[in-house]
Amino acid sequence: MVGWEVIHKASVFIAEEMGVALKRSAFSPNIRERMDHSCAIVDRSGRIVAQAEHIPVHLGSFRVGVENTLKWIEREGVELFEGDVIILNDPYIAGTHLNDVMVLTPIFYRGKLAGYAVNKAHHVDVGGPQPGSINPSARSIYEEGVIVPPVKLYSRGELARDVLRFFVENSKTPRITLGDLNAQIAANSMGVSRVRELFDRYGLKKVLEGWESSIEYARRSVAMELSSWPQGVYEAVDYLEWGDDLLDIRVRLEIRGSGIHIDFTGSSPQVEAPLNAVFGVTFSACSFSVRSVIGGDIPTNEGFYSAIDVHAPQGSIVNPVKPAPVSGGNLETSQRIADAVLLALAKAIPHRVPAQGSGTMMNVMMGGIDSQGSYWAYYETIGGGSGARPNGDGVSGVHVNMTNTLNTPIEIAERSYPILFSEYRIRYGSGGSGRFRGGDGIVRSFKALSRLRLSILADRFRIGPRGLAGGGSGATGSVTIVKRDGSRISMPSKFTIDLDPGDLVVIETPGGGGYGSTS
Amino acid sequence: MASYVVSVDIGGTFTDFIVVDEDGSVAYFKDLTDPEKPDRVVVSNLSRYKGSIKEVLHATTIATNALLGQEKLELPRTALITTKGFTDVIEIGRQNRPRIYDLFFKKPKPLIPRELRFGVSERTMPSGDVATPIDPGEIMDLADRLRSLDVVSVAVSLLHSYANPSNERTAGSILSKVFRYVSLSHEVANEPREYERTSTTVINAVLMPIVSSYLDRLGRSLKDLGCGSFYIMSSAGGLVDVDEACRRPIQLIESGPAAGVIAVAEFSKLIGVANSISFDMGGTTAKAGTVIDGVVEVTSEYEVGGESHHGRIVKGSGYPVRFPFVDLAEVSAGGGTVIWRDDAGALRVGPFSAGSDPGPMCYGRGGARPTITDANLLLGRIGSRLAGGFKLDRGLAERGLSMLGDPVDVAINAVDLINIEMSRAIRLVTVERGYDPGNFVLVAYGGAGPQHAVELAIELGLSRVIIPPAPGVFTSYGMLLADWRFEARESFSKDLDSSFRRLEEMLASRVGGGCYFIRYADVRYAGQGWELTVSVPRDADLDLVRRVFEEKHRAVYGFTFDSDIEVVTVRVYCVVSRVKPRLGVFYQSSGSSVSSYGSREAFIAGEWVRARLYRRDDLPTGTSIQGPAIIEEYSSTTIVPEGWVARVGGLGELDIVEVGGA
Repeated sequence: MVGWEVIHKASVFIAEEMGVALKRSAFSPNIRERMDHSCAIVDRSGRIVAQAEHIPVHLGSFRVGVENTLKWIEREGVELFEGDVIILNDPYIAGTHLNDVMVLTPIFYRGKLAGYAVNKAHHVDVGGPQPGSINPSARSIYEEGVIVPPVKLYSRGELARDVLRFFVENSKTPRITLGDLNAQIAANSMGVSRVRELFDRYGLKKVLEGWESSIEYARRSVAMELSSWPQGVYEAVDYLEWGDDLLDIRVRLEIRGSGIHIDFTGSSPQVEAPLNAVFGVTFSACSFSVRSVIGGDIPTNEGFYSAIDVHAPQGSIVNPVKPAPVSGGNLETSQRIADAVLLALAKAIPHRVPAQGSGTMMNVMMGGIDSQGSYWAYYETIGGGSGARPNGDGVSGVHVNMTNTLNTPIEIAERSYPILFSEYRIRYGSGGSGRFRGGDGIVRSFKALSRLRLSILADRFRIGPRGLAGGGSGATGSVTIVKRDGSRISMPSKFTIDLDPGDLVVIETPGGGGYGSTS
Repeated sequence: MASYVVSVDIGGTFTDFIVVDEDGSVAYFKDLTDPEKPDRVVVSNLSRYKGSIKEVLHATTIATNALLGQEKLELPRTALITTKGFTDVIEIGRQNRPRIYDLFFKKPKPLIPRELRFGVSERTMPSGDVATPIDPGEIMDLADRLRSLDVVSVAVSLLHSYANPSNERTAGSILSKVFRYVSLSHEVANEPREYERTSTTVINAVLMPIVSSYLDRLGRSLKDLGCGSFYIMSSAGGLVDVDEACRRPIQLIESGPAAGVIAVAEFSKLIGVANSISFDMGGTTAKAGTVIDGVVEVTSEYEVGGESHHGRIVKGSGYPVRFPFVDLAEVSAGGGTVIWRDDAGALRVGPFSAGSDPGPMCYGRGGARPTITDANLLLGRIGSRLAGGFKLDRGLAERGLSMLGDPVDVAINAVDLINIEMSRAIRLVTVERGYDPGNFVLVAYGGAGPQHAVELAIELGLSRVIIPPAPGVFTSYGMLLADWRFEARESFSKDLDSSFRRLEEMLASRVGGGCYFIRYADVRYAGQGWELTVSVPRDADLDLVRRVFEEKHRAVYGFTFDSDIEVVTVRVYCVVSRVKPRLGVFYQSSGSSVSSYGSREAFIAGEWVRARLYRRDDLPTGTSIQGPAIIEEYSSTTIVPEGWVARVGGLGELDIVEVGGA
């Protein structure tokens, strides 16, 4: 008698509840305040049944990550038992970058494997030479941080203390790493018990059927929408800045029947720089773009994912092979992949796609030794302008595309780190011109109060976000360092530098593109 | 001469009144709310008690309605003064967008436009050291300019003013000479995080003129009726005087819903229940809050005008207000919630509601979409005749549900879906705090609450449900039982005890003695960015605070850490006990009939049963009724499934407990 909708809704709530539990108990502001985490319920065959994601980059990468991990486990002949907990962060398996630690807990019901509870959370530091483990100068993944392949952190309920110590001690902020990892494990155990309650209540068979219908439902919802779009092939190209070079992201998007095929053939080969986006990230950016243009409330499950078919050539910047460094792949490259896919979609259904937004997360990483002699690390991202819409101006000072994390309050940052802010404001007039104006970027400036190392990983310093339908480009971003002696250094979009006390850093983020010509 | 205590709850549709006589007898009634002049309805309904009203207690939606642009209330021209370089903090917010997959998303529009935001040269450091003192000359010039811009209210929010308010104070003393309404951030929300503190201060500044003139007007009218004392319900769950309400009007947001949870807390005390979940379900929304050991759980995370997702407010969708709010999870679920099928064929409930006009299809007022009430009617869960002889049309309900498939199947699944929606919201409220909902008693009220309460209890693993008397006006009842409660806080205190004492002295001088204090601290492990509020015993030292904190941390998060703790904010509530009106039998049970007046087929808790029918007004104290049963009363219906027994308690409440399978 119970409808599948009831099972569907209950399962979605379990994923949400896991997210709440994870957020509440995590240590790092990344998870707790910026919600850089996602949780999912996965069926026995690895299909995502329900997912609660708070950050778009976890959207599709989760599907790729779960699939890869289960394949790896099978290939390596690892047997899973009740009480096991697997952790990993290898981006070539987990599907994003080293900071995203994935925790997978099998759900056993009456002695049999019935599914998995999975979550992923951004850890503030996972080792490597740079604070925050995002190293703009990395030439291989080994210069980014510690790589953890799928390992059992718990084996039949028994904690593998050596594994835990090994992982935690590689972090520059071990206490936070431990706290966050505990939170992730606890969130999964809650998910496991809730799913078991669901089995108890409705019966295993009924729940599995409900999951099936839920996936079918998402598939049907997407198919109905896509088949109403103009069928055909749409192409676009966009660029990432690397030194004096531009790296191409080429998209050939085909809307065919009830599916979308996205082909990245012709994109630049992988680079010896952390701009490579592992396939999970590329799939994520595609999922994000398609989902945003579809609109509405499509459930995030296999039914939705299965409508999107992505081809990314091996060894390219959108599907690199080890040991290419990848830390910036899901930061900057993911933004550009979404930009390119949206640009192609704008050709298909112009009234549903705005001009380009800032297109950079403007990652700021800092660290040093504090007065007590311990290491501190600080990571944040800065929003910009969103693109103008076919029916109105863009929004100023906001994150677009693949991120949606909160800022760090100035009063909290100044209290925690040796920096003093002098400005945090809208960068007036930086949005592109047009019938509708692009949103303005942000200016965020601070002074170093002690010696510290600063890294920036950003983009759109040379080519501003493009307008649509005759609208102008948004202003490009910039970083300027004003040394104590008053000399000014104009920095590139990716660098690492040591700052002296009194040095001022002025960061300006790009505005969004305009829409329509002004005439 | 009689001397009445009156409580008035002005809601969106109805204004509810409860009038208590000295001998404890109670009268309650409702009138339609007048959105444009809400006080007029109060005065016209109370004029018959002229000269004999001792006290009026009031819950109002005026603050919320003003902010949401409802009811034609124009926002007063307000200016914001911040540290130079930071005037856009309220526009940037936390730089997130409220909906991640909406390319056409909007951020809430800043309540103060750029041209009325001004930066001044000044700087306080996180340590509280003033690096750049504020220049009085600059403020005086600015005050002149603001006056020439016709500004009526001014908000001041300077960086780190929670650590040292001296720059803000200097600005405040100059501005107060020119403006009647000045809101200083350290007085409104004395805690770190510039966006949230500034937003709270701005909202306070915007509300000040509106709330002051409203309360002035109402106060004068009440005085004309001979009523001298007049108190307002705050969203923190206590009554405050008019002066406090005008000074910090932000505490009037959610004034009504807070009263509901207070009613649950106080009623729970009367019947000896320690932990309860307050569940209020009306025509469009359901709200859940928790009471733990008799204390209403509060939160300081709130956004006015925000959208909610699974019962919680989506960050960035509204305007943050940092003030203790009774913690409520809200879902779009009520009797008027629409049942529909989406294009891909899934049965859905809500979030749209048919409201009360046109209302559910069975009302026969032109409603064209089936609702939860239609489903409940078709399933025999509510009767077809309401109080006052209003008849529900079963045929219309069935026709509506048939549009979506087999009407009975649709109805059953729709009720299931809405129950899941509500029970999960309740679960989140408790789980977030580390509690197992199974250890609570559910207290359900509002027109539709008693219909769904026991099924929610089953869903959540609870074994006891209380339906208070007169569930339709239970919110107003909360005010009658509330105490006065004033709040003050201080952040990054250097010495706990002296901070607590300072706050207590300040509050004591405000209320003039006769009060007791409750101390709280917002504590975290150093490095955490999120605090837990813990209750702090008197004479507690840091070690004791740590123990209390760790106990709570373990309860909520399941583990503790071997690291330093940090007390971010200390908070004191000053409670002045009110002499509560003596409440007699709230609920006049005239009858002595224990027998049912009939029976009907109804779908209850997953099965079709033959339910006996009772009229609540007929049931004498001590009566026990075996489920399956349906107990009807004016404006509400209580459903008792098989395996549950409802007993009429001494205060007229229905005490429903699980007794196991029949």
